[in-house]
Amino acid sequence: MKILIVEDEEGLRESIEEYFTEAGNICETAANYNAALAKIDMYRYDCILLDITLPGGNGIELLKTLKENSHPDGVLIISAKNSLDDRLEGLNIGADDYLVKPFHLSELKARVSAIIRRKSYNGSNLLVFNEITIDLLAKDVRVDNTPVKFTRKEFALLLYFIANKGKVVSKNAIAEHLWGDGIDMANNFDFIYSHIKNIRKKLIEAGCKDYIYAAYGMGYKFADK
Amino acid sequence: MKLAAKYNRVNISTTVIVMLVTGIIYYQAISYILTGLKDKDLVVEEQEVFDYVRLNNRLPQTFESNDQQITFTPAAPGSIKRKFINTEYFKKFDGHHKHQRDGEYEAGRGLISSVTVGDKYYKILIIVSKVETEDLIRLIFFITISVILLLLLVLFVTNRLLLNRLWQPFYNIMDEIRLFNIADNKAIPKIGTSTDEFKELNNAVADMSAKAKHDYHNLKAFTENASHELLTPIAVINSKLDTLIQTENFTEGQSKILNDLYSAVSRLNRLNQSLLLLVKIENKLLHDRQQINLREMAEEMINQFEEIFQDKNIRLTYHLDEKEIRASQYLAEILLSNLISNAIRHNHVGGEIIISLTGESFTIKNTGDNEPLPDEKIFTRFHKSFNSEGSGLGLTISRQICESFGFSLGYGFEGGYHVFRINFMSSYLSS
Repeated sequence: MKILIVEDEEGLRESIEEYFTEAGNICETAANYNAALAKIDMYRYDCILLDITLPGGNGIELLKTLKENSHPDGVLIISAKNSLDDRLEGLNIGADDYLVKPFHLSELKARVSAIIRRKSYNGSNLLVFNEITIDLLAKDVRVDNTPVKFTRKEFALLLYFIANKGKVVSKNAIAEHLWGDGIDMANNFDFIYSHIKNIRKKLIEAGCKDYIYAAYGMGYKFADK
Repeated sequence: MKLAAKYNRVNISTTVIVMLVTGIIYYQAISYILTGLKDKDLVVEEQEVFDYVRLNNRLPQTFESNDQQITFTPAAPGSIKRKFINTEYFKKFDGHHKHQRDGEYEAGRGLISSVTVGDKYYKILIIVSKVETEDLIRLIFFITISVILLLLLVLFVTNRLLLNRLWQPFYNIMDEIRLFNIADNKAIPKIGTSTDEFKELNNAVADMSAKAKHDYHNLKAFTENASHELLTPIAVINSKLDTLIQTENFTEGQSKILNDLYSAVSRLNRLNQSLLLLVKIENKLLHDRQQINLREMAEEMINQFEEIFQDKNIRLTYHLDEKEIRASQYLAEILLSNLISNAIRHNHVGGEIIISLTGESFTIKNTGDNEPLPDEKIFTRFHKSFNSEGSGLGLTISRQICESFGFSLGYGFEGGYHVFRINFMSSYLSS
């Protein structure tokens, strides 16, 4: 997939680029309004990560330009402004999602994957990873056609892992993804462990390979080694 | 005590005293003058007696005329000293009056004098009635009393009407000060008054409030800007950490450091978000209102926290009635989530949480330290128990949210439970 990262903060831009760069992905970056405008004019992307406050202009204007030209690019706004008005304006103009800084890269990846999935599969809602097939609408998971029953959170966690396959996902990122920002029980992520244990058990019982690896007590990695 | 009442007390008592003193002086003066007049009459009468005696060389016939009696009594020569006396005057009633007594005593003024007729020495006693004088004095006394009473009445009425009207601008200013809210945009208005003192007071209060608002606004802007500026570096740290853990082969010690970094950053982030949220609530930036089914929201929230209840082995009982409110969904979620996570965080393993929602209130009770918390302090910013992991802003935010919804949030310690209660109505009563 082809992704454009429009972000003026160098450190953040590099991190995102590095995280998204993998086999089959093309990442391009723009550090200011004009550079971003030029790229948007010339190329199409599967998803554009758009910062609102940019040197030389406002990200919302870029979004308007895209929509005026009926470009189909998916747009994910990443903004430091967590104001409802901005969020609503962004989504009304046609952004696909809105993520507030600071965020975990794994969360960003999950959101981008969701956007791209919605764009490219166009109604089809099957997500396949080796022997695992997930029906996103029916929230139904099958391993080689054997249905596996997951709770709502386990299902969300599995999707999150698949979106971040091959990456170490920190426990903080998992907790925030499942319980939102409200989760304030730092240093005590035992309940994540029990979810992961359940997922592994259910998948393995259905005849699936074990894809989940613990990573040094910091987090977990979902990978086909 | 009201200023007017204080002023009245002094004013009225001095007025009464002054009036009484005036009355006494009046009485004395008039009494002195009138007695002088009577004395003159007596001297004229005495002179008449002397003239008669000199002319006729005998005593005149004793007679009684209107209000005047003269008696002669033989006395030892030289024993009588001439003097005026206050005495009584016996007034005989007229014959055609049917009275039991044949007369009555009235106040009188007398003159004792002496006369020598031939070789006989007589004491002369002339008495005149002072009843008219007394009547006059009585009249003056009544007039004085009525004037005092009238004055009191007038003072009372003027105080009631005039003073109240005079002080009205003051009360208006007071009302404005009471309504003053440092967070809103309403300035203290100019009060229509022609009284210089109140104008000055009004100006001083308006200036002071404007300055306070200005300072507060600056402070808030500073908090907001600082929090905003912090977001980007936090985002960079976060993303760099996410990137760092992708490189493998960490020692156990390194992973521990990374874990600590993660929790520190996430705490920093939450703290920062909380500050931003507070500013937003105070600025009323989250003003969207929608119909919220509180029961559904609370149930969802309870499900959300399910694992954490289990993790701490907390027994949860809840009873939720239907309740709808019009409020910001975002804030309502934060409110419930804050209260529930508080109840979990300050609970002990194997503790208990009781949640109930009725038409009037949302109550959450939890076990925890067996001591009541300092009632109002817990709602202040950055107040937290010494072992708390929270930001110290959760309850401040919760209370701010309640206030912005027109609810009230209170704390109590009841039968071993820490109780937080959102009252949907009482903000009208308590304010």
